[in-house]
Amino acid sequence: MPAPAPRLDEAQDYLDSVITSLRAMDRREKQPLVGILEYLSEYIRSTRGEVAALRSTVGSPVVLAQASDELEEIVHETAKATNSIMSVAEDIEELSRQTDDTVATALQNAATRIYEACAFQDITGQRITKIVRAVQHLDQKIRLLAGLCGMEAPAEDNVSLGENQIRTGDESLLNGPQLAVAASSQDEIDRLFGA
Amino acid sequence: MAVDKKLPIMIVDDYSTMLRIMKNLLRQLDFENVEEASDGSTALAKLKSGQFGLVISDWNMQPVTGLDLLKQVRADAQLKHLPFIMVTAESKTENVVAAKQAGVSNYIVKPFTADTLKAKMESVLGPF
Repeated sequence: MPAPAPRLDEAQDYLDSVITSLRAMDRREKQPLVGILEYLSEYIRSTRGEVAALRSTVGSPVVLAQASDELEEIVHETAKATNSIMSVAEDIEELSRQTDDTVATALQNAATRIYEACAFQDITGQRITKIVRAVQHLDQKIRLLAGLCGMEAPAEDNVSLGENQIRTGDESLLNGPQLAVAASSQDEIDRLFGA
Repeated sequence: MAVDKKLPIMIVDDYSTMLRIMKNLLRQLDFENVEEASDGSTALAKLKSGQFGLVISDWNMQPVTGLDLLKQVRADAQLKHLPFIMVTAESKTENVVAAKQAGVSNYIVKPFTADTLKAKMESVLGPF
């Protein structure tokens, strides 16, 4: 079994005990070393304070979990609304069969435009899912950082700050929907097909 | 030869809303023989057990992606010539190239219009 990762609170305790021992020594040359160790100890204290503050505000597991839930709720609610809209469009199409050709064509075209517009739910759903994953990743990292600072044990043993997040192979191609600046248009894709 | 509108079409997407949109647009084009699957594995099983004339698939699905499905279709002796259109929000050139290399018949970027769907289907199946 690998040795447990060193924790910042333990490192600080160790540093403080070394500083205390050095101070008790009657040697002038100890001063620069004591100064450096005091600086390190203060730096660790300040870092732990920052992590604790993060953990108790925007980085708290409760806040991040709520944020994920809220985002997932948006996906759920927009899907519900989109399905209602499509039901109405389907009704319009059905009713169009009872009218004369000109009106029927106009109603069918309107229904088509509604179906096309409803695709927004798929796109926004995918974008929100990307954000949910990012929030969950952030939560995981803050948990790990808090564990390293001695605030609580890391939630998952297999997570480390050096975890490789780079995807390879076909998986690296799953990044859509692209932002407008990075996206290719249908015409550009058609050109790649030689159409 | 005119395209048979009774052609069985498999649509694959993990968003039920998208399946419904696609089904409605296909119905407007008079293609009513449409089978749905919400993931690549289900789609492949259905494709192997039926006689389909076209697959229209999303890319970003788990655990079997649209690209995985395409590769499995192209690797299957019975299915390898099946027309396969990718409909996806993955619009980077590298994605299009990867899909092309895997043997995709055509590629539609989401969001798309009914006219685009018709044009890409015609490019694969012939005019209708």
